[in-house]
Amino acid sequence: MARIINLPKNGEMIAWKWMRYSGLLLIPLAWGHVLIQDVLVGVDNIDLNYVSMRWAFVGWRMYDFLLLVLALAHGINGLRQVVLDFVSKKKNIRLVNQTLVVYWLVLVLLGIAALMGGVRKP
Amino acid sequence: MSVRAMTNLITYRGGVGQLSFVLHRLTGLGILLFLVIHVVDTSTVFFFPSLYADAIAIYRSVPFMIGEIFLVFSVIYHGVNGARIAIFDLYLLKNWEIKTQRNSVKWTLVISTLLWLPAAFIMGRNVFEKLGI
Repeated sequence: MARIINLPKNGEMIAWKWMRYSGLLLIPLAWGHVLIQDVLVGVDNIDLNYVSMRWAFVGWRMYDFLLLVLALAHGINGLRQVVLDFVSKKKNIRLVNQTLVVYWLVLVLLGIAALMGGVRKP
Repeated sequence: MSVRAMTNLITYRGGVGQLSFVLHRLTGLGILLFLVIHVVDTSTVFFFPSLYADAIAIYRSVPFMIGEIFLVFSVIYHGVNGARIAIFDLYLLKNWEIKTQRNSVKWTLVISTLLWLPAAFIMGRNVFEKLGI
């Protein structure tokens, strides 16, 4: 039987909840994406035309946007948790957090820019 | 980082609980590594569209296609095991017992493998086709 205790409502508590709720949402999103692109369509059939055809539908762009935002924030917070298991000094913990926020921002902005800009035919 | 923390990854408590913990972390880190590469390669469709074909060519190589089969296992296992953790933590906290946990870990491995096999079969067939076997 589990012991129920009251936990402080701080950033780490939000991160803990974030991992569980975003993880549950990512199961249909990521599995659907992998099933369609890797198993059913296959990498041999993916090219610029395929991407522009897919992104012609706003629904698929929204799907990819949700997947991008949830997966990156879930994954980089997961990396943060793993790294912080090996870091104990307060100063270093802050450094890890700041570095990973920058890493996350760069990648999520790169992804959003591509999603909004769409495919440019060479 | 301490050497002790590294060796604890192998020697701490052991059993199915630690196995699922280690697998969850390894699959998670593996997926993140691919995700970062994948965000960058997909962003070329807007920034450097002429490079997209080169990026995809890497994924079409046999080593990457084999890696993709493991990637799919990682995504399936991380999802099933993550659902197990989230459901116990958020909705079934009262059912948290060592025995239930150990059982659920075994079920996680069984369900993940069963979901992975058909996908691995289809993707493996593509690899053989590419090799001309």
